[in-house]
Amino acid sequence: MNLIDIIYKKYKTVSIVGMAKNAGKTVTLNKLIEDAYDRDIILGITSIGRDGESKDIVTNTEKPMIYVPEGSFVATLAEKLDEGDAKLEIIRVTEYKTPMGEVVVGRVRCGGYLQIAGPQTNRGIKEISDFMLSLGAEIVLIDGAIDRLSSASPSVSEGTILATGAVISRDMNRVIEDTVHTVRLFSLESIIDINDKTVVKEIMEKEKIGIVDTFLNIQYLDIKTAINSGKVIGSEIKEYTKYVVFPGALVGKTLIDIISTTRLFKQVEFIVRDGTKIFISPKEWLKLVKMGVKVKVLEPINTLAVTVNPYSPQGYYFDSFEFLKKMRIFIKDIPVFDVMLGDE
Amino acid sequence: MAMEKVDLTRVKPYGDTLNDGMMQLSFTLPVPHGDEADEAARRLVKKMGLEDPNVVYSCDLGVGYTYFIVYGKCQHTVDYTKIEVPKVDVEIMDKYEVEEYIKENIKRNVVVVGACTGTDAHTVGIDAIMNMKGYNGNYGLERYKGIEAYNLGSQVPNEELVAKAIELNADAILVSQVVTQKDVHIPNLTQLVELLEAEGIRDKVVLVCGGPRISHELAKELGYDAGFGSGTYAYHVASFIVTEMVRRGLV
Repeated sequence: MNLIDIIYKKYKTVSIVGMAKNAGKTVTLNKLIEDAYDRDIILGITSIGRDGESKDIVTNTEKPMIYVPEGSFVATLAEKLDEGDAKLEIIRVTEYKTPMGEVVVGRVRCGGYLQIAGPQTNRGIKEISDFMLSLGAEIVLIDGAIDRLSSASPSVSEGTILATGAVISRDMNRVIEDTVHTVRLFSLESIIDINDKTVVKEIMEKEKIGIVDTFLNIQYLDIKTAINSGKVIGSEIKEYTKYVVFPGALVGKTLIDIISTTRLFKQVEFIVRDGTKIFISPKEWLKLVKMGVKVKVLEPINTLAVTVNPYSPQGYYFDSFEFLKKMRIFIKDIPVFDVMLGDE
Repeated sequence: MAMEKVDLTRVKPYGDTLNDGMMQLSFTLPVPHGDEADEAARRLVKKMGLEDPNVVYSCDLGVGYTYFIVYGKCQHTVDYTKIEVPKVDVEIMDKYEVEEYIKENIKRNVVVVGACTGTDAHTVGIDAIMNMKGYNGNYGLERYKGIEAYNLGSQVPNEELVAKAIELNADAILVSQVVTQKDVHIPNLTQLVELLEAEGIRDKVVLVCGGPRISHELAKELGYDAGFGSGTYAYHVASFIVTEMVRRGLV
C-alpha cells in the first residue's frame, strides 16, 4: 500500500498536518510528490506555513528541500521564486498577502526546487486550492505549519495525513498518547440522523450557540462565544435537551463549567463542527469522557494515514521498527507509515 | 593612506585592521579558576573554529565557576549583498499621521486588544507598545486618538484573550512573547491562531505578534499577519494595523 494510492481518485484536496515542528511533514509531502510524479498525477502544491527552506528558522536544523515536478501547479510567494531553481509560468497574482509577501499561483514549466508558502489563513488556503483544481490539478496537497491542525478541517481539505514523531517527547509512550488523542478527536462520531443533522447545520450557519430539544426545537443563546460561558450554557440545559451545538471552538473549561452547573449533561450530546474545533488536552479529555461527557461532530475528518518520524532534532531517536509497531498497535483503523522505511 | 575597500560579498569581523577576523567572546565555565580553566576556555574557542584563541581575562566567580574573555580570529565570511530580511512593508506613520489616517479612512475607533499570553509574565513588551506613556519617548496606543486599547496584562490564557477580543469586537489582537526558553512561545502562538480559526474570526482581525525572538518570517509560519522584533515602537504597530485594516476592507 502506497500513500498516494490511498488518495488518488478518492480525495481531491489533502492536508498534511503535524503534531509538532519537525514531525516529518516535509518528508511526507516529498514522498507524495514523488509517488504522484511516478504515476503522472498532476498535483497542486501549497502550504499554510512555509516549507522547502533549507534551514528551519526556529530550531536551526537542516530541512529537506521540495522538488516540484514539471506540469504541477504551485501557490507560493512571489519573492521566493528567485530562490529556487524551478521555472514557473505565473497564472494569477492573488490578493492574499502574507508577512513575507504576495501569493502567486503558477504552473511549473521546468521542474526544480522551490520554497512553498501560500496564504496563512484557512479561508485563503481553501480558495487557492479550489483555484488550482479548476486549473487542472488532480490532487491539491496542503502542507501544514508547525503544530497547526486546523487545515485538517473538512471545510478546508477532504482528507488529511497526520505527521507525528519523536520530537514531541523523549518518552515514546507520551508521543503515542498525544498522537492517539489527536487521531481520536479527528475520528469522533458524527451525527447520522438526517433530520438532526439539518437542524445542527442550521445552527452552525447562524454562528450562534444553540440548544436543541428532543422535538428538534432550537433555542439560541445570547452569547457571542462559548469560551468562558460554560455556566450560562449549563444553566440552559433542561430535561428534554438533546444537543448543545457549538459553532466555534470547544475548550476544556467550557465543558468543565457545564458539568459543574448541571447534572443533566450526561443525557446531552455536545456537537462541534469537526475535530479541529476541540482544544482539550489528552488527560482532560479522558477525564471528561469517563464522567460521561459525549462529544460528536457534524462532519468527520477523513484521516487517511499517520506518518511517524522516529528522529528528533534534539539529538535523540527511537528504534524505527519498535516505534512503528507500537503506533500500529494503538492506531488500528488508520494506516501508519514510516515514510523513510518505505512502503511496508 | 588609501582606505582598503570593503568586499561586501565576503564580510569578516574587524578588530584592528580590515579582515583580521578578530572577535571577542565572553562566557562562563563551571570549573575552578586557574591555568587549567584558561586552557579549557582556549580549547573550547579553538573547537568553535576561531584561530589563535587567546584568553585575555579570567575571573573567579566563586563556587568553582570561572568567567572568561577570549579573543580569536574568525575564518568565515558572509555575503552581505545576498541578505534579505523580510520587513513590514507598510508606510510607517507617526502618531499624528496614524490618528489622521484613522479619521479619514476608518472613521470610527479602532479596537486593539493586547496581552502577554501563556506562562509569560514579562509585560515590558506589550506595555511599551500599549501603555499611555509608551517607551523611549514614543507614546503607547492608549494615547492615540481613535484607538481603544485594552492591555490585558500578563499570563493571559489564549482562551481569555479570544473571549475578550470577541466581546469587544476587536479589530486587532497583539500578542507579546518575551520568554522563549525551549521555544515555548511557538505552540502558544499557534494555539491562538487555531482558536481564532475555530471561532471563525481569524479573517476579521489583524493578528500581530511581537517579542525579541519574533520576526516577520516566523510570523508567516505561525499564521500571523505581522511579527515585530526588538526596536519596535507603538507607531510601527499602529501604522501596520490601520493600513492592513483598510487593505483588507475591515473598516
